[in-house]
Amino acid sequence: MANFTKALHLSKSYGKSLFSTLRNGHICNSRMISTTLYLRDFMAFFDDKKNWGATEVKSGRSWQKDDLRIKSNPDLHKLWYVLLKERNMLLTMEQECKEQMKLFPSPERLDKVEESMENLEEVVRERNRAYHELERGEIGEQPKETIIGPFGLPEEYKMTEHSIPKEINAEWYKQQQIKCDPRDVAEFGRKYREKEFIEKRRQHKRDFNHVIGLLNRFPKMDMEALKEQYPDVDIEKAKASRKYKPPPVFDD
Amino acid sequence: MRLTQILLSRVGEWSKQYANLPDRYIKRAMEQVYWRNPKGIQYRPSTVIQRKKFRFTMNRPWSHQFYEQNAPGRLRKKVFVEPIKKWSFFRGDRVEVLVGKDKGKQGIVKYIVQERNWVIVEGLNCHLRRMKRGDESLDLYIQSEAPLLVTDQVALVDPSDLKATPIEWRYTESGESVRVSVRTGRIIPIPATAEETIDYKSKSTYKEQPKDTGANEVAEITFEPALKTFEMDIMESMGIKEDRIPKKTYWY
Repeated sequence: MANFTKALHLSKSYGKSLFSTLRNGHICNSRMISTTLYLRDFMAFFDDKKNWGATEVKSGRSWQKDDLRIKSNPDLHKLWYVLLKERNMLLTMEQECKEQMKLFPSPERLDKVEESMENLEEVVRERNRAYHELERGEIGEQPKETIIGPFGLPEEYKMTEHSIPKEINAEWYKQQQIKCDPRDVAEFGRKYREKEFIEKRRQHKRDFNHVIGLLNRFPKMDMEALKEQYPDVDIEKAKASRKYKPPPVFDD
Repeated sequence: MRLTQILLSRVGEWSKQYANLPDRYIKRAMEQVYWRNPKGIQYRPSTVIQRKKFRFTMNRPWSHQFYEQNAPGRLRKKVFVEPIKKWSFFRGDRVEVLVGKDKGKQGIVKYIVQERNWVIVEGLNCHLRRMKRGDESLDLYIQSEAPLLVTDQVALVDPSDLKATPIEWRYTESGESVRVSVRTGRIIPIPATAEETIDYKSKSTYKEQPKDTGANEVAEITFEPALKTFEMDIMESMGIKEDRIPKKTYWY
């Protein structure tokens, strides 16, 4: 714990209490954030000292979209930074534990924080989209379109913002000139589709044989459940197969 | 990843219910990625080569033991699992064992492995496990329960006459889905322990952790609809004024 003690020494030299302000984690109190002191302490990157070497640190669930939709924009803005600080802290602790060959307690906290951040971002984008659709008739996000790529396959193209129109943008045009020989593209497309078809057929065959295996092992199986799980397999055809050898059923 | 493979390798809902972990963490802890396509021009941009077939055992998929049993490069024979329409055995259910040396005895379900259609009945269907400790005289024997198949090795007990019965899922008049004993027509209630997790006995008795937001604060509605984007609202609340007109830009 050499780094920890060093860090602790640093924080003492600042002479500020830290963790009282770091009380809000992945689920945080919006009212408390507004009272957060402005601290520039290095120890904010580390967990509460009580949790050092703990086997488990309990935490609640992540913020769901429905929880966030009822919060005002300033609240979400503050919550974002609380989550960001918590994520930084957890990543630091994870790295520190790795360096010291120790077990990082409750790694699911990281997933809870990241899930909350994703949900928060989605809620903010939802609000912005609603404004832009109402005011300007567009979603107001980076536009995307599906284009045919250099391999002759459809791919998503994210548009970028430029200060000059594309007709006079020679550099951009140069970047777009990655093209293959059309004969090669045609040949590639044919082989690609063939590979896809073979893979699909193999998967179907595998499912078909698996269903026969199930029928052979479980003669009293619920057929509706089987149909639900393997909708593409023709069960009558499977039963007509020579591989179908169900064991005799003795009713008692 | 194809649909059936996803279905086969998916962790059952009731297997992960007690641990109360986010799905994102379970996925992260389970996955074994051997190759990810690098960024750049690729004909298959986000291809991932990862382990698809897992052998589900008594160990939970996010545990270290599970990883060891499914270590990279270790493949095991396929297990046929009977498809079931709806899972109807929960933690705390009283069941009767139909096979083995404890045939006819009743016990409480305490552990579920939904991927294999298994339940563990407390104190029944036990065997002795030998723990080797070097010398034979020092060996330790531990009694542990063996799993039982829900399809034909256990049956739920009707609470009215305490006898094993086949069940059916039906709807009550209020639209609630309940388990009904086929023999007597009585409802078999789902026990309260079914929703118990490692963090709480029931949702109402959850003990708040230091970094949690209180339930009242989460439910508080602070959002007020206004014709603003998120950024406009934040700038207004922070007193930032921006009246420059941006230059015309082009998206392509």
